[in-house]
Formats: sequence, structure tokens, C-alpha cells
Amino acid sequence: MNVRKDDDMGPPDKRAVRRSRRYGDDFVEAFLFFAAITSILVIVLIFYFLTYESFLAFREVGFFEILLGQKWHPPGDVFGMMPIIVGSVLITLIALFINILVGIPLAIYLSELAGPWSREFLKPAIELLAGVPSIVYGFLGVLVLVVYLEKSFNMLTGRSILAGAILLGIMFIPALTTICEDALRAVPKEFKEGSLALGATHWQTVRWVTLPGASSGIIAAVILNVGRIIGETMAALLVVGNVARMPSPLFDAFDRGAIFTSVIAGEMGEVAHGSIHYHSLFAVGFVLLVIVTVLNISADFVRAAIQKKFGGY
Amino acid sequence: MKKIKPAPLASIAIALFILVSSIYHLLFQPEEIALVPFWVAGLLGCVLLISASALSLNRGGEDRSRVIWTRGRVSALAADLAYLSAVALLVVYGRIGPDLKFEFLGLSAVFTFGLVLPLLLVVGSFLAIKDSINLLYGYTARGREVLVFSMVRLSAVFTIILLGGIISVILYRGIGAISWEFLTSPHLRLGQQGGIATCIEGTFWLVMGAMLISAPLGIGAAIYLNEYSKNSGLKRIVTIAVGCLNGVPSVVYGLFGLAFLVSTVGISLLAGSIILGLMNLPTIILTSQEALKSVPNSLREGSVALGASRWQTVKKVVIPSALPGVLTGLIIGVARAAGETAPIMWTAVTFSATPVHMFYGFVPDVTQPVNNLCYHLLNLIYFLGAWDVEQNAWGTALVLLALVLSINMVAILVRNHYRKKISW
Repeated sequence: MNVRKDDDMGPPDKRAVRRSRRYGDDFVEAFLFFAAITSILVIVLIFYFLTYESFLAFREVGFFEILLGQKWHPPGDVFGMMPIIVGSVLITLIALFINILVGIPLAIYLSELAGPWSREFLKPAIELLAGVPSIVYGFLGVLVLVVYLEKSFNMLTGRSILAGAILLGIMFIPALTTICEDALRAVPKEFKEGSLALGATHWQTVRWVTLPGASSGIIAAVILNVGRIIGETMAALLVVGNVARMPSPLFDAFDRGAIFTSVIAGEMGEVAHGSIHYHSLFAVGFVLLVIVTVLNISADFVRAAIQKKFGGY
Repeated sequence: MKKIKPAPLASIAIALFILVSSIYHLLFQPEEIALVPFWVAGLLGCVLLISASALSLNRGGEDRSRVIWTRGRVSALAADLAYLSAVALLVVYGRIGPDLKFEFLGLSAVFTFGLVLPLLLVVGSFLAIKDSINLLYGYTARGREVLVFSMVRLSAVFTIILLGGIISVILYRGIGAISWEFLTSPHLRLGQQGGIATCIEGTFWLVMGAMLISAPLGIGAAIYLNEYSKNSGLKRIVTIAVGCLNGVPSVVYGLFGLAFLVSTVGISLLAGSIILGLMNLPTIILTSQEALKSVPNSLREGSVALGASRWQTVKKVVIPSALPGVLTGLIIGVARAAGETAPIMWTAVTFSATPVHMFYGFVPDVTQPVNNLCYHLLNLIYFLGAWDVEQNAWGTALVLLALVLSINMVAILVRNHYRKKISW
């Protein structure tokens, strides 16, 4: 580059400056572009590999047999996912109940009632709670929750669908609360003030103005949480008992059970690479991935649909 | 001045006592239940106080107080009172006695006295509190507000107790295992003796590797999406992909690594780092994007107006302004990578006591598997019944929890510090 004198007010040597900048910039932009499309690449690769590895199982066992089969018995090469699906549904329902029971009131507390001091204290506490590793939850589940259930319900073993549901329900309270609080805060202040000015009490305002206004966000948060509950591995693996058989009666949450993640994590360790069992576990993973992805995408659509139909934030 | 009504207040106090004591019994399941006579007396007292105050509510003499008794309210109150007295009478007549034991609908659980009675009492005392508060406020909206908001406050208390409980239990049981040797020596005899040095080492390298992959890719993607991309179609697709990646269960990442990486690079530090890095990618992209979005456009325009190129603007203006947010995301990513087990179970770890092999003393051998805190803990949990590893398991859990929570704490502090300092 030319050295410019003080009295040289003309444009700098354009070509030299531009070229050196442009090559650097092009390189950086190419890297950034690559970084941006990495996520597309990864999600495509994940779907590709799970489809590829589970294809054999779907072909050998049969697509509907593996999805709707009533029995999961790897030593006899019987692979039917129905017990796993039933277990997952049971766990998700109970866990979601606990989750909503605490998570949404907590969000209301944070957005409506908490003073600056308690907020300052509670927000970091919730974030820390969200950061507790799932294996630690599982460890506490085994040594505290399972022992407690065993004793109080006189069960053969405390490892049960109920134990998994309680643990997962508690684990994902912070996730639900964080999103719900954002949704509740997004409702404009004018609405609440209008309601209060009409003589409504604070609770009436929350119940009839704030919650309906935030409903799209809250419902989306619940759907996302269903995905998280179904996809959680380590805590569930350690406390559900991991026996993939149909509970009888179907709603028997005190029985041992299995869910998608616990079957994969529990059995993948000792399975022969390339066997039909191996591919069936990939098939379980594939079904799980499809369910979670559908839930994730539908959360956005549901939010948009509710907003379009009823308004809200 | 509002007249103080002693009857509902007294019944609230009694019901609170029943509630707290029965929750205590429900949680700790003591062998002997000494409080049964008090509970029965308390229930009957609540019934008496509530019905007395319900009857006296009409004696106000004002006309509008007569409208209070709609059919719904009367029947709800009657049902609650019937429930309370039924529980009390069943206990008095011994139908719910210490030898109670029944199975229900074929569920594989046995319901015993020590569980059933406290459960009935919890429900009963909630009902009593509800009615008492309603009576106290004469069935106005204000009463309902007090009732609901006290429940809402209860959820906050529950959360604090939960976090405090988790931390204190692990601290209390685990602190005995912690010593300098525990932290600096490898484990012996399947974790019954020795420490967790190799696990700490392995966790460190796995996290470093994961951040080395996810930090440049994640921040780069966020910069591209926020600063460069003109093509809104691409942006949309990437956003959807990031959303999907964010939801992919950790065990699926493990399967992906097993199918994709283990066949080529084997069970190794490298495979684990790549998988953890990819898993962290969406978190870092989302937090960095948040941070970049919060940088006001006027800063960019100012920089461009001075003749800076796009990359110069990003490098010298946008990134420094967004650094606290980006940093918070990275630190949270470190904590997540340190606490995940499922993605690396089959791709990166073994239960080994040999330290990581180093080239030149500081470059780890990435083709070898390592041990990891989470995986070590998992193995100890599996050994719990068979070998005497409980003490070491609590110690490992304590180290892991302390590590992850302190990293999270740092993230929170960084964010709060800069949030106070920066104002656009």
C-alpha cells in the first residue's frame, strides 16, 4: 500500500486496498457460510444415519410389526415397540402433570408477584436447577426416590414408571418456567392496567387477561417440554426399571417399565454390532427422533395458529 | 375497619398444622404415627369452626350478604364438610386403622395406613383452608385472590426447597469422600478405592475438544445469520434446522456418533469431542444470535460510514459489543458438555484408570478413549448393590455437581455484571 502524505486528499490507491481486504473478507465469509450450513448438514446427517441403520430392522422385522408389536424380547429376536410406547405415554402424562402443576404457577409468581429481591434470588436458583446434570438426578433418584417409593408403596422394587415420571417432571420445571415467564411478560402492560382499572383484582387480571394473552407461548412451551421429557435419557434409564413389557392394567404406573431412551441406553452397551437387535435399537431411536422433531416443529406452528386465531403474544 | 373473624382464622391455623404434619409423615414415613388423635380432633374442630362461621356469615344484617349463598357454593361447602367428617369418623371407628392394607385396580402397589391417612389429610386440609379463606373474605374475589396467590407462592418455595435439598443432600453425603487423594489418584478395584483423577482429566479434555469445535462453528453461524445473510430463505432453513437440532435427544446424538464416527475414528476422545461439540452447537448459535441482535444498528452504521468493510465492522465493533452475551453462551455450553452422559456413552469413554496419554506433555492422544466424571458415576451406580462404592459415588456426584453448578454460576455472574454495565 502506498504511504499517504498529509496533503494528499485524493482517494487512496483503490485497487490495492480493495483487493487485500476482499480476499480476507471472502475467506471469512466462506467460513461463516460453512458454519451456518453446518447445522443443516448435521440434522440431515443425523436423519440419514438413523434411517440407514434402522432400515434393516424395519425390513427384517416388518414396519408395522416393529411399531405395533406387543412384545419386546431381544433374546428371542422379538422386537415390538408397543410396550415402550405405552411406557413413554404414561411417563410423559404423569411427568407433564407434575411439571405444569409447579412450573406455570412459578412462572406466574416470577412475572407477576415477585419483588425485586425475591426475583434476584429465584431467577439464578432456577437457572442453576436447570443446570444440574441428568446423571445426578438419576443418582438421587436411585438412592432417594426409589428407596422412598419402595418403602411407602410396599413395592417389589421402587424402580417404576412412577419414579421416572416424578423425576422427569421435577427435572424440567425450570425449562417450562423460563419460557412461560417470557410469554407472560410479553403481554403488554396496558392490557393489565386496563383490567385493573375496571376494578378487577390482581388474580382476575392474571386469569382473564394475562394467561389468555400468553396462552400461545405457554402451549408451545408445554409441547416443547413433552419433547424434552420423552428425550431425557440418564435419569429415566436409572429409575424406570427398564423392563419392556406391557403394564397390566395399562395405566399401572407402579410397575417397572421402559421408555424409548432407557431401552436404547440400557441395551446398546452389550449388543453385538450389526445384529438385528442393534438395528432395532436404531429403529427405536429413529421413532424417538421423528416424534421429537414433529413436536418441535409443531410447537412453532401451534403458536402461530393460536396467535392468528385468538390473538395474543 | 373490618371486623376480625376468629373462627375462620382458627380453622386455618388448625388446617395448616394438619397439612404440615401430614406432609411430614408422607415424606418421612415414621413407623409410629403418634398424631392420629390430634388429627381427628383437628378435623372435627375444623368442621365445627367452618360450619359455625358459615352460619354466622348470614347474620350480618346487610341485604347484600344474603346473595352470597348460591347453590354451587352451598353444595361445595357441604361436600367439603362431609369429606372432613367422613375421614375423621372412619379413623375413629377404626376403618382406617394401623392394619389397613389394600390393593387397588390391580396396580402393583400396596396402600398402607402410613400412606393413605396422610394423603387423605393433605387433601382435607387443603379443602378446609379453601373454605376458611372463602368464609374469611365472605366469598369475594379478594378471597379467591389470596387463596390462589398463596398456592403460587408455594410453588416458589417448593423450587427453592428442591434446589436446596439437592445441593445439601449431595454435599452432606459426599463431603466425607472428598480428600486430596480422592481428587488426584485414579480409581482402584472398580471404584471401591482410590479417586477420580482420570475422570476429571477426561472430562477436561472432552469439554475442551467440544468447545474447540462448537465455539467457532456456533459463533460463526450466528454472525453469518445476523450480519451477512441477505438470503432470507437460507436464514429460515438454518433457523428451522437449529430448532430441530436443539430438540434432538442426547441419546440420539449418541446413536449418531455410534453410526457415523465410531466406524471411522473408533471409540475415542476425538469422536466424543465432535459429538459433544455438535450437541452444543444450537445452544451457542441461539445465545450468540441473541447477543448479536441486541447490538444496536447505529453502531454498525457508524462503522460502515467510516469506511470499514463488513468483516472489519463485525470484528471491531459488533463482536466486542456482543461479547458478554456470547461468552455466557459459551460458558453454559461448557457446563452442558461437562454434564452430558448419553452422547458419549458408546463413542468416547471407558471405565479406565489409566491417565490420558500425552504427546509432548500437553497434547492429548485423541485416538484413545478416556474416562469421564458422568460415566464414572454411571458405572458406580450400576455397581451399587454389588460392591461397596456408595461413598465414592456420593463423592463423584458432589464433584460433578460442584463443577457444573459453579460453571453455571460464572455464566450468571458474567451476564449480570455486564447487564448492569452496558446500556445502549
